[in-house]
Amino acid sequence: MDKIAITGIGIVSPSGLDKRKFWSNIKSGRSAVEKITRFDASRYTSQVAGHVHELDVYSNVSSRLLKKIDMFSHMALVGTELALQDAGLDLEKENLDRAGIFMGNALGGWLFAETELRDLYIEGREGVSPFAASAWFPAAPQGQISIRYKMKGYSKTVVADRASSLQAIAYGARTLNRGKNDFIVAGGMEAPVTPYALLCCQTSGALTQNNENPSTAYRPFDKKRDGFAIAEGAGIVILETNERAQKRNAHIYANIIGYGTTTDGVHRIDPDSNGAGLVSAITIALNNARLKPADIDYICLDGAGTVNGDLTEAKAIKSVFNGASKNVIASAPKSIFGNMLGATGALDVITTVLAIEHEMVPPTINIDEKDPQCDINLCVNKAEEKNICNALVINRGRGGINCALVLQKN
Amino acid sequence: MTVEDTVKKVFNQVLDIKSEEIKPDDKLEDGLGIDSTEMVEIVVGLKKAFGIAIADNELKKSHSFNQIVAVLKTKGAK
Repeated sequence: MDKIAITGIGIVSPSGLDKRKFWSNIKSGRSAVEKITRFDASRYTSQVAGHVHELDVYSNVSSRLLKKIDMFSHMALVGTELALQDAGLDLEKENLDRAGIFMGNALGGWLFAETELRDLYIEGREGVSPFAASAWFPAAPQGQISIRYKMKGYSKTVVADRASSLQAIAYGARTLNRGKNDFIVAGGMEAPVTPYALLCCQTSGALTQNNENPSTAYRPFDKKRDGFAIAEGAGIVILETNERAQKRNAHIYANIIGYGTTTDGVHRIDPDSNGAGLVSAITIALNNARLKPADIDYICLDGAGTVNGDLTEAKAIKSVFNGASKNVIASAPKSIFGNMLGATGALDVITTVLAIEHEMVPPTINIDEKDPQCDINLCVNKAEEKNICNALVINRGRGGINCALVLQKN
Repeated sequence: MTVEDTVKKVFNQVLDIKSEEIKPDDKLEDGLGIDSTEMVEIVVGLKKAFGIAIADNELKKSHSFNQIVAVLKTKGAK
């Protein structure tokens, strides 16, 4: 893959929206997972989540538009504004017919949808907002970004469960390689802290039930892990060819240099117990990047926090890296703010490029005792200094989806 | 509250449009940029506010605010 530069980032997360605040919280391992108070979650088995605060502070979306869109589109718009500013792009000088939007999310705009569904059954047809259809569907953020910024180039929305936004970012990078766009706004958004979305996640069996201690609930690779905590948020990156980024003297956080994706073909929820599909995805990504396993300095883990999920991820890493798996350092910084489902890949990419920039590995938090069966070299509880040249980002989704993306310092 | 005041209140509740933004004789689609889905929302709001039946094509985005008020009054809105 030819180098695709990441030249701007926009973060909407429980750990903050300002990138300095975000990195400060990540570096210090300050948990942002809290008890859910937005609605009565007392009858749910999982009652904790990462919530976005301060969205209104950063938002310049009109109140008129807010009545017609779901929160996930709102977060996408705020994240995009932050990313475009960060990239220093002057849209008036760009050919917006060649500006693309590549977004990923798993659920769509569920708060809007479930509220209208309830009104349908209570009030009948006229109780349903005419905006329900355009607010809910998973490509709504892509549409809203396109409308707001007049971007009309080749664009896509990817729905691939927790691998959605990593796939979207990779798809965007490949599209730039094919010369279809000049630049791409890529990433993901998810607003799953709603009654029905939480219920759906809960019935998959993957959510933590450690409700008494929200800040320590999400503990990937810990011996006592019992699942992940959901989170809401958005992560947006600006992608352009490295050549174009250099030409306009853009700040380059890192380059995307490789990608691989496979599907397990085994179970509708659980990953393949052998980890074979993930081994294959990682191998494809490394080959695409023209790197060997020993060239990787840091792995940003999928870190599902489930017993099987973490076990199979560790197995796959050990298989690919052989003896080197004890040396290559890995972490799941999503343990700090929660798992944003479809948006998680975007936040993983953003966290990783910040780690490359700051020469510091972000921690996995809440590890009291590492599961000895997950025999990988984890950065635990505190950030560690490290010069990271090449990093691997892993995301998986239900239905056996495996994705691996390789990032390289510029 | 007059019919005009109630209509303005519905515009505000449904679409966050302020009274001072409303140009009484301009078509809603021109003066306020109202599209067809917003118009559906406004009609539903007006039905609830006045407790009267309004057919789908009786109020249109090509109407002005004053025309909307006139139609509502002929239908018995108070």
